[in-house]
Amino acid sequence: MNISASAGAAAFPTIASASADIAAKKLSPVELTTYLLTRIKTVDPVINAFLLVTEERALADARASEARMMSGTRIGPLDGIPIAHKDIYNTAGIRTTAHSRQLEHNVPTQDATSVAKLAAAGTIMLGKLATHEFAFGGPSFDLPWPPARNPWNPLHFTAGSSSGTGAAVAAGLILGGTGSDTGGSIRGPAALCGIAGIKPTYGRISRAGILPLAYTLDHSGPMAWTVQDCALMLQAMAGYDAADPAVSSKPVPDFSAALGKGVKGLKIGLIRHFHETDNPVSPATLKGINDAADLFRSMGAEIRDITLSPMQDYGACGFLIMIQEAYALHEKWMQTSFEKYGELLRDRMGLAAFLTGADYMQAIRKRRELCLEMAAAMADVDIFLTASQPMEAPLIDAVPKWAAFEKPNFTMPFNVTGYPAISICSGYGAGDLPVSIQLIAKPFEETKLFGVADAYEKATDWRSRRPAM
Amino acid sequence: MQTKTTRADFDALVRRAGLTLTEQQIATFHGAFGYIEAMLENIRQPVRGREAEPALTFDPEGFR
Repeated sequence: MNISASAGAAAFPTIASASADIAAKKLSPVELTTYLLTRIKTVDPVINAFLLVTEERALADARASEARMMSGTRIGPLDGIPIAHKDIYNTAGIRTTAHSRQLEHNVPTQDATSVAKLAAAGTIMLGKLATHEFAFGGPSFDLPWPPARNPWNPLHFTAGSSSGTGAAVAAGLILGGTGSDTGGSIRGPAALCGIAGIKPTYGRISRAGILPLAYTLDHSGPMAWTVQDCALMLQAMAGYDAADPAVSSKPVPDFSAALGKGVKGLKIGLIRHFHETDNPVSPATLKGINDAADLFRSMGAEIRDITLSPMQDYGACGFLIMIQEAYALHEKWMQTSFEKYGELLRDRMGLAAFLTGADYMQAIRKRRELCLEMAAAMADVDIFLTASQPMEAPLIDAVPKWAAFEKPNFTMPFNVTGYPAISICSGYGAGDLPVSIQLIAKPFEETKLFGVADAYEKATDWRSRRPAM
Repeated sequence: MQTKTTRADFDALVRRAGLTLTEQQIATFHGAFGYIEAMLENIRQPVRGREAEPALTFDPEGFR
């Protein structure tokens, strides 16, 4: 096996490149898995992406995949692909902690639906990944495990809460992984770690067996090095599941159908006020957005300015819903074992203890108005474009406790409305750290979203660089 | 961010919540509550009439 040959321009294989090589019997799933397990031992002590490495399980999965490869019974494009799961995804017989002392010794008896689906697609499970505590706190230094660090510079933050997945993908420890996104927890780490991450439409993927944060805002989704890899993973994760009352029964389309088709004739709405006035972004982030708009225009898309309510309105609505729904789930533990939480989680979520039912209902009423507004703004537009994060990754020990309260974030508006949104790398800024753009589509139009994101990714050379680890 | 709720009123909210907190923890929550107050004002704009279309509904056949 030749890992480098499978990798192409980047230093490590992608899901697509590895899959093609496995299909051609040029790449052994066992050797690929062994290589990554060795690399995890070397690199992970620096970035803390893994809470648990499941070496025996990984090698067993790899041997089974290799047997299918040799017998010509490969299941599909994910067969033999090493991945790992955010540690809020239940894994039968394997510790699932939510990165919290509250669940330090929790061992589920059933896989989350997504875990089971990815296993059925032939993936190899390398382990469980760091998260902000219960997908909300962090970066915390007072938990049983340290926070994940950014592979581009381990002194810097990954964003969260799918911090371990972002770090592990960027560092080349896994080819893809799972995340969850209640206010930006897939797109934030994807942005700061320079990878691709999609929050699909609300209800596209079952959340059964994933520890919840806030029921009406929670989304699960894949994170990987490329847009194409995210499409391949989403294909396995999506679909109806009777165990999640919010999941859609709509048919699952071919998410790769628009890859390579370009953007000619599409209308792209630039939400300029989000990133220019509501929360002004760094120079490199702004350049990435403007260059992307120019690129899409040069490829035949029409670019329009779009005006929505101030991002603060979406932020206030989403945040109040999030902390109140989360607090309802944690109320008993907050009352009886407050000190077992990390400081960041308990202080942020605990503010919901002082709110009323009327406060929650007013936020829900506001949400309906914002959903109607966004639907109208997108009626004659295919895609929205704005920032995903305001700037390059800050130092990990310089993230203020109340940072999320002081300025609205770019990702929450699309949790409030449930629209699919993807974060992709748009260059490198201060400190040679990644910057990103965010693209958004109408509900259940992930295929179009992947097509536009893939067109951008293929027309730029940001995927040719990896962290020097 | 200034908190409008007085400390005495906030202490009543802490008692209602049933939390057991140290003095420092209560002060931390009270100090940050101004951010929440600003959000609560935001979501109440524009003022909605009682007849505004209901946002929270349920489907009697939808519970599984």
